[in-house]
Amino acid sequence: MNILAAVGVDNPPLDWHALAPELVLVGLLAVLLLVDAFGGERSRWAMPSLTGIGLLAALIPVATLAYDGVVRSMFDGAYVVDNYALLFKALFLIAGYVVVLLSTNYIAEGDYWEGEYYQLLVASLLGMTVMASARDLISVFLALELLSIPAYMLAAWRKRDLGSEEAGMKYYLMGVFASAILLYGMSLLYGMTGSTLLVDIAGAIEGTEVPALVALAVVLVVVGFAFKVSAVPFHTWAPDTYQGAPTPVTAFLAVGSKAAGFVALMTVVLIAFPTQPRIFEPLIWALAAVTMIVGNLIALRQTNLVRMLAYSGVAQAGYILAPLAVAGVSGASAAMAVEAVSTYLVIYAAMNLGAFAVVIAVARKTGSAEIDSYGGLFSYSPVLAVCMSVFLFSLAGIPPLAGWYGKLTIFLALIEPGTLAGYILAVIVGLASVIALFYYARVAKVMFVDPAPDGDTTPIRVPMSLAAALTITVAVTLVVGVLPQVLARVTGAETFLSIGG
Amino acid sequence: METTAVEYVVFALCAVIVLAGAFGVIWFRNPVQAALSLVATLFGVAVLFLNMNAQFLAAVQVIVYTGAIVVLILFVIMLLGVDVEEDLEEEPLVGQRVIALVIAAGVAGLVVAGVTLGGADLVSGARSVTGSIVDDVSNIEQIGRLLFTEYVFALEITAVLLTIAVIAAVVMSRRPSEVEPLPAENASMEPPEPMEPEAEEVFD
Repeated sequence: MNILAAVGVDNPPLDWHALAPELVLVGLLAVLLLVDAFGGERSRWAMPSLTGIGLLAALIPVATLAYDGVVRSMFDGAYVVDNYALLFKALFLIAGYVVVLLSTNYIAEGDYWEGEYYQLLVASLLGMTVMASARDLISVFLALELLSIPAYMLAAWRKRDLGSEEAGMKYYLMGVFASAILLYGMSLLYGMTGSTLLVDIAGAIEGTEVPALVALAVVLVVVGFAFKVSAVPFHTWAPDTYQGAPTPVTAFLAVGSKAAGFVALMTVVLIAFPTQPRIFEPLIWALAAVTMIVGNLIALRQTNLVRMLAYSGVAQAGYILAPLAVAGVSGASAAMAVEAVSTYLVIYAAMNLGAFAVVIAVARKTGSAEIDSYGGLFSYSPVLAVCMSVFLFSLAGIPPLAGWYGKLTIFLALIEPGTLAGYILAVIVGLASVIALFYYARVAKVMFVDPAPDGDTTPIRVPMSLAAALTITVAVTLVVGVLPQVLARVTGAETFLSIGG
Repeated sequence: METTAVEYVVFALCAVIVLAGAFGVIWFRNPVQAALSLVATLFGVAVLFLNMNAQFLAAVQVIVYTGAIVVLILFVIMLLGVDVEEDLEEEPLVGQRVIALVIAAGVAGLVVAGVTLGGADLVSGARSVTGSIVDDVSNIEQIGRLLFTEYVFALEITAVLLTIAVIAAVVMSRRPSEVEPLPAENASMEPPEPMEPEAEEVFD
């Protein structure tokens, strides 16, 4: 007999199908815990495959939900499974799978093996999939913490390495600081509206008596997320954390964590604040413009490839923020912004994960991520060099690689509303892309033209898992670049609560 | 609900206790005394919650803050040694005091802004969320019902969050049993710099 019913509480209606991806992940987490506790030394080789299989298994319900096509809403609309949520769940799970492929040899062969690595990774991914569906302040905040707390530990994974400790510490402190700011904003919102549901908040603050207080809340919430997506001037943790953390973790943070931050920002801003464009538009506009310019200019001066990718990631965050700066003009511009941000996040995930995969492969031989150590890569490992060039030029936005389509959707979203602010931001995106081409091309030049630094030209052995990760990311980068309609069909069909209606 | 005279008296008493405790935290040189002053502040806030008819918050305030967190603070102080007198004139971080003042002013500004901007209409016509939402059902019962109906998913996610946080904390504090030295050949190839160690030096 049901205990809740006995005390007169109605069971909330649960849609198990809608919760299936998360349930699979929770199950996977439990299995990994048990295997790690009782598996002994053999589990060291079983864990990555087990994790990979589990993540792919979690994709099955995502696919069936997408095929079903019904918008499922639970808990009075606090948890919604629609196209938008499913797209990001799929993105997070596939990105997580690629990160597992990147980690397999790195973690097992290094002397930093501990089984908990995969448990933390899965827990963080669980937080991301929840984030994709979260539509109230409590779920958003819990999802953010669930994806961040394991990530703090992952960044500090190499415990005997000062750099890694520094990475974890900085990430942790800045992350907690950001959470505090975010909570301050959220508590103001709840205090004003008496509801945690984003939709209710939007209704309650529309035409409110106290615009200044609403402005304060909106600014605090946006700034809290700006830390997460490492937008300038809240980016200071990113380069040190990216450089110090183990490279697969860096890839995970740069792609998964950042994408989840954008999903949260987009959900909250577009559902809870669509009636307040006067507040969030100038704020996001300024953040986007400064982020693009500063990120790209500092990236020009980097000599370490991981650090350069960190700053390029900061700059890319600026591109992704840009469409949101004009999202409040009309329903159509909001829909365009959602499409542009989703498209860019998918493409960004593929090309950035790929770039980190090459970094990991090359470091297996050279033990270094300095750009100089990539000299002559084309002469002894032509495939890796070509892959790296594909990713770098895609990041720069050169057709026919996927990056150009991402940039195109951003330009279209910026121009659509026809406002001066949008045009100016589009020009800044263009200028920033030109600057970015310099440092991406410089790496390519080192790989193709410069000689190997120590004359060592033995080819690099690429383990199977890394090769698989490279294949997936190159395939996505090329296919989306040549046939963008494949991705456009998915992102263009996004139905997003309370937008366009 | 009308504010009664008793509530005013309780508020005044608690306000004095809260402020005195907060003042004590920064005034006492001895960290144990400072921590105990913090108890006074947190306890005063708990009574203020009671005064506002938020019994659950009051209980949580006592259990979590006064009970758990201050005990944890005391633990750390005891472990580090109470007899160590800190030289408060020395600033571990340059400009620490100035930054602290600026941040304190900023936080105070936020609070004052919240109250003054909101004015009498702070809550936009909706019921205050500190009071109970339904009058004849107790606060705690309502929270319990909400937790297991509308917010049951959030509750379960919190369970996962706490589990993984414990795992992460254990991993962080555990020393690996066999500490193998880093391979020597890498050390010669790429000497690790103190502040910018390479991520990949553990490989063959």
